[in-house]
Amino acid sequence: MVDAARQPLIQVKTFTEVEKVEGFVGNFKVTLREKAKYVRADRCNGCAACAKVCPVEVPNPFEMNLAPRKAAYIPMSQSVPLIYNIDMDACIHCYKCVEACGALEAIDFSMEDKLVEEEIGAIIVATGFSHFDPSVMSEYGFGRFPNVITAMEMERINNSAGPTNGALIRPSDGKTPKNLAFINCVGSRDKRYIPSCSNFCCMYSIKNAILAKQMHPDTEITVYYIDIRTPSKGYEEFYDRAREMGIRFVQGRPAMITENPDTHNLTVHGEDTMLGQVMSREYDMVMLNQAAIPQPDQNHMSSVLNVAQSPGGWFMEYHPKLRPIDSPTDGIFFAGACQGPKDIPASVAQGSAAASRASRILHSDQWQIEPTVAVVWPEKCLSAQGKTCGMCARACPYGAVDYVQGKAPTIITAKCHGCGGCVAECPTDTITQLHYTDAEILSQIRTLLATEPEKKILALRCHWCSYGGADLAGTSHFEYSANERGIKVMCSARMDSDFVYEAYRLGAGAVLYSGCHQQDCHYITGQIVGAKRATRLQGMFERMGMSPGRFRVEWISAAEGDKYARVINEMQASLDEIGPEKLHDEITRMRPEMAKRITKLPNIPLVQQAFNRADEFQTIMLNEVKAK
Amino acid sequence: MSAPTPNNSLSQRVKATPGGEHLLMCYSCGTCVSKCMIQEKINPNYNPRRLIREAVFDDTGLAFADDTTWQCTACDLCYPACPQKIHISGVINAVKQAALDAGVKNPAQIAQVDAQTCIACGLCVEVCPYEAINIKVLRVPNRGIIPVADVDAGKCMACGLCSATCKSTSIRQTNEFTDQALMDNLWGYLAKGDLA
Repeated sequence: MVDAARQPLIQVKTFTEVEKVEGFVGNFKVTLREKAKYVRADRCNGCAACAKVCPVEVPNPFEMNLAPRKAAYIPMSQSVPLIYNIDMDACIHCYKCVEACGALEAIDFSMEDKLVEEEIGAIIVATGFSHFDPSVMSEYGFGRFPNVITAMEMERINNSAGPTNGALIRPSDGKTPKNLAFINCVGSRDKRYIPSCSNFCCMYSIKNAILAKQMHPDTEITVYYIDIRTPSKGYEEFYDRAREMGIRFVQGRPAMITENPDTHNLTVHGEDTMLGQVMSREYDMVMLNQAAIPQPDQNHMSSVLNVAQSPGGWFMEYHPKLRPIDSPTDGIFFAGACQGPKDIPASVAQGSAAASRASRILHSDQWQIEPTVAVVWPEKCLSAQGKTCGMCARACPYGAVDYVQGKAPTIITAKCHGCGGCVAECPTDTITQLHYTDAEILSQIRTLLATEPEKKILALRCHWCSYGGADLAGTSHFEYSANERGIKVMCSARMDSDFVYEAYRLGAGAVLYSGCHQQDCHYITGQIVGAKRATRLQGMFERMGMSPGRFRVEWISAAEGDKYARVINEMQASLDEIGPEKLHDEITRMRPEMAKRITKLPNIPLVQQAFNRADEFQTIMLNEVKAK
Repeated sequence: MSAPTPNNSLSQRVKATPGGEHLLMCYSCGTCVSKCMIQEKINPNYNPRRLIREAVFDDTGLAFADDTTWQCTACDLCYPACPQKIHISGVINAVKQAALDAGVKNPAQIAQVDAQTCIACGLCVEVCPYEAINIKVLRVPNRGIIPVADVDAGKCMACGLCSATCKSTSIRQTNEFTDQALMDNLWGYLAKGDLA
């Protein structure tokens, strides 16, 4: 921290909140609220004279409220920059600090919050995590029994600079506990509270146990756990060391802690699952390893930064395996536990990676993005005609559609990743996607269904997964029906219902609507947009009396070549089962219904020309067929 | 026991029973066992965690012979403590139903109805906490085809509430829990002066 503050190119702004983030990669405009410290940063030399004379004492949250601090304070002794701060909620305005500061004149009660706007190239979010409050789990008695403490309190008690100066004592009587219990997974791995694993608690319960045992070798320490997770380098060896030192590990999650009101000793009731017997053991002090949870203002930050949150509330990365540091918004990166619980080595690694990802942006004059971005023809937009719509903005996973009611939307090109969700969702086809325009895809459909459409299976595949799945089926030589004809779009979100209607109007035998599995979507929530539409289409075709198997929705990953082949073969089998006469009747019966739904298609620029070209091609094809 | 096949295996059956859906989510953390009153007060060999393991591995032999299958009172102390929200008494009940279907006899000393004196008033039906008693029309020797109380052997937990409630002393517990045995016990204590 001190090194960073001394670096001339690094500016550290403490006690500052991000109010607003506008713009895009390389060109962010960030509004910061520099909160009033009531101490002038240019004059304070950190001498602590103000804190010495301050008569007000309040609990110190940094010491987990185990020690007091003054109203004139620094958050912790290693604070960088070393500038004091006056807590206005606690201050009684005695002005003793002003007197003590003397000629330095650093204390200024007239200071106010300042709003500052900064030009920022890239943003790294490293807001950390918070702790689950175990007092809601009444069975453990935290808050009722003085000697039940949390891991963070233990951390401070164990710390030589902490409130006890490193003396291991218990809160009820200040005596050194001789018999300690640690309970893991308090709140985590618990469907009632935090269903996920908090990643690092196993290791820090072992660490705290070892520290306590080193200080007082005669202390009996028992760790209760469901599973001990030591997946990284050196971790298992650390666990070995703890057991060698005589720390006992009990597999079993205690159900209850009771207290002897006279001695304040605690009895932990838990099954030793290895023995299959319930043990009620008495301890002097019990430490709860509570779950890691997102920061309380994580939702607020998520909307300020316009980055999504994963289930559980953590910030969501671009891709869990391939881009774990990037946020879905270009130019915003994550470091540390704000993206998910992680320990110190992992946080440092992610921080370094985020810094190098960010420097790529700072060192380039130009930034390349995929060319498949969305563009708008503003004149047809419903919103521009005064109607309420906003379908495009709702479909966009990246917040790239700037939608204001009453005006046609504008696409922030630098934010657009090219899924095509807005294009397909737009009810008036006001938006199109470069390289995947409606004209291009519709003429592909016409061409592929030029001859004997009722025998064909038209497969709409997404670029990342189902196209890859089809490719794998081919390269692996999995046999599937030769009647399949595939069209690639970037995402299932781009699979416009018009494409499906047009295919059936042309007489397609069957249509496959396929894309990534939801959790694999390469456009965050693109698949959800596509899947919703697919479900709607499925219901509609069912009501229209379409034979089952003619419209199929399947989520196929790039590794599921066998599934792709199987799905196509099953579709072929259901077409065979329906039989040509019934199929022909059905297609003829549904054709006017389909035609009704796509009357607007020729109004889309270039679509009519594309249709004409496709029809020309069809004539050529038919002549060729006849000639044979 | 025949080898379990995927469809009729014990675990599949428990999962298909309402209450038993989350069987396979068990961490085996033992919270249920340390919550259990039966384990603590009555039978140290009683262990819901072990029964869940037996059900997960389709071991009908162990599961049907396990005390846990037959002694659960469905008090549901364990259910709110389970970190995986497994309805443990639901799982146990599903195992019990499977055991009864497989022809295993309920070792609990279930309530017995004396059809000769039962007047089908329905008091026992109302008080039974396990909904184990129904009024059924049965052929009763010397009385013809009449409605009488009927105890479901799978559901009865032998708590004795019905015997205590019955106005015509037509429903009773067996062995050491008959009215006579309990009264004898009581008189025995009084004679010894234990209750004085």
